[in-house]
Amino acid sequence: MNGFLPALWSETLKMRRSRVPLFTAIGFSFMPLAGGLFMVILKDPQAAQAMGLISAKAQLMVGVADWPAYFNFLAQAVAAGGLIIFSIVTTWVFGREFSDHTVKELLALPTSREAIVTAKFIVIGVWTMAATLLIFGLSLVVGNLVVLPGWSTELLSSTFTGVLGCAFLTLGLIPFVALLASMGRGYMPPFGWMILTMVLAQFSVILGWGDWFPWAVPGMFSGAAGPRAEVLGVHSYIILALSFLSGLGATYYWWRSADQTR
Amino acid sequence: MKFAIETNSLSKFYGEVRAVDSVSLRVKPGEIYGFLGLNGAGKTTTIRALLGMIRPSEGNVRVLDQAVGPNGGGPWTRVGHLVESPSAYPELTVRENLEIARRLHGISDPAVTSRVIERLAIAPYADRKAGTLSTGNLQRLSLARALLHEPELLILDEPANGLDPAGVVEIRELLASLAHEKGVTVFMSSHILTEVDRLATRIGIIHMGRLIEELDTDALEKLRSKRLEIQARDPESAQACLQSAGYQSALNGGTIWIEAAHAIEHPDDIAKIMVNAGMPPTRLAVEQQNLEDHFLQLTGGTK
Repeated sequence: MNGFLPALWSETLKMRRSRVPLFTAIGFSFMPLAGGLFMVILKDPQAAQAMGLISAKAQLMVGVADWPAYFNFLAQAVAAGGLIIFSIVTTWVFGREFSDHTVKELLALPTSREAIVTAKFIVIGVWTMAATLLIFGLSLVVGNLVVLPGWSTELLSSTFTGVLGCAFLTLGLIPFVALLASMGRGYMPPFGWMILTMVLAQFSVILGWGDWFPWAVPGMFSGAAGPRAEVLGVHSYIILALSFLSGLGATYYWWRSADQTR
Repeated sequence: MKFAIETNSLSKFYGEVRAVDSVSLRVKPGEIYGFLGLNGAGKTTTIRALLGMIRPSEGNVRVLDQAVGPNGGGPWTRVGHLVESPSAYPELTVRENLEIARRLHGISDPAVTSRVIERLAIAPYADRKAGTLSTGNLQRLSLARALLHEPELLILDEPANGLDPAGVVEIRELLASLAHEKGVTVFMSSHILTEVDRLATRIGIIHMGRLIEELDTDALEKLRSKRLEIQARDPESAQACLQSAGYQSALNGGTIWIEAAHAIEHPDDIAKIMVNAGMPPTRLAVEQQNLEDHFLQLTGGTK
């Protein structure tokens, strides 16, 4: 793969200079902050109402304000929000080359197209995993500030595995977003794809086929549909891995072979 | 190397549309080849095929003696290009945009970036974000990227687009000096026919996807030749009168054309002959046919 390191340097510079990391970090940060707010409300709903945090008509979920509830909220928020934010990052990294008409500067080069695509995927992977670690760290700060009971290192360890695992599995879904951004030559097709897959994932879980639908697997892994050992099987991970590999292969093939007219 | 660019029956079809139809080009090393055509004639599609950006439907492309593959393969360390409108990463500075190009070209010397910035006169904008540049300066940035690695072959689509008159002259002189002093081959498309006329050593005209004419240096010189155009109340008699005075002429739509050097240098002598014969000219002018006239005539455009 000719020119991988220069390609990685270029993609990193583009990401560093962009506002997308900042916006996605802000978007991601809302998850632990919103979780913290819910915990404050659950701890003392009357006080929250008196402070104006909630209105008299608020339909509060039943629950207790403790670390397990807070981490459960965080895991489910990462499962739902992760796909959105990971898709936005991927759409930007691939789609911007077409929207800014810069793709033509990446094609007739001694640096291979495969190196450029690989560098893009690596930058997306590093950034999204870093953002996930950021929100996990932030959630620990927020949880401590709210002073939640029920802390244990086992809970920390299992939540860390759940959140990071969910993010890792979500990464397995992004090659198709990259493919749609490339084939659609811009931002709209991958956004449409993201919404479609989220809706289909919901349906598949409702119909009881979520463990066979790759786009539902990260959410189920987070515990949103029950304990992961009960709702997911080996076949779920295999299907997700296959969809990752097929999306990756299709993206490389497209960059290598498709007519580039933008 | 016999040809810097060679295409054999290059065709590109989009469904029923024949964007490029059986184009066979031969561009010799060191030539400045002007590639002309109306909008949608197939210029950019041809250029994209030369750069391996699109897969030919039929035919093949060789650049610098190397086959251009559909998978990005080609002699790209030796080729600089500018395709269609200039583009750059708007959030990066001019220097950063060029740094990306330098690294992707595998050039280890960082001084190359500063040199090309000076060469294209964009030093005052080097640390400005590309998104804030004027069209002309963005074009200079794109040209800088094409020249960064000192290529043997430049494939340029409308290189003078967006440049002010001084910029057009500057780029023309730069390309001419690259060709004459360093033997760089230049393949350029342009809408500015006067620029192509001044710069090109050979011209190809593409129309509706087909290469309809190629003009070499001699043909271009002939095209630029002058003639005396004469109009009179009775053109046939006037022509006969001039013929008898020893001037070979042609009658074209009521206008008499004389290409004899003496007539062009001394139109007053011609006027005297016609006045003495009782058929004074109603119009007498030394005209030079140019590429524009020829191009419009060929492509059915209007002037």
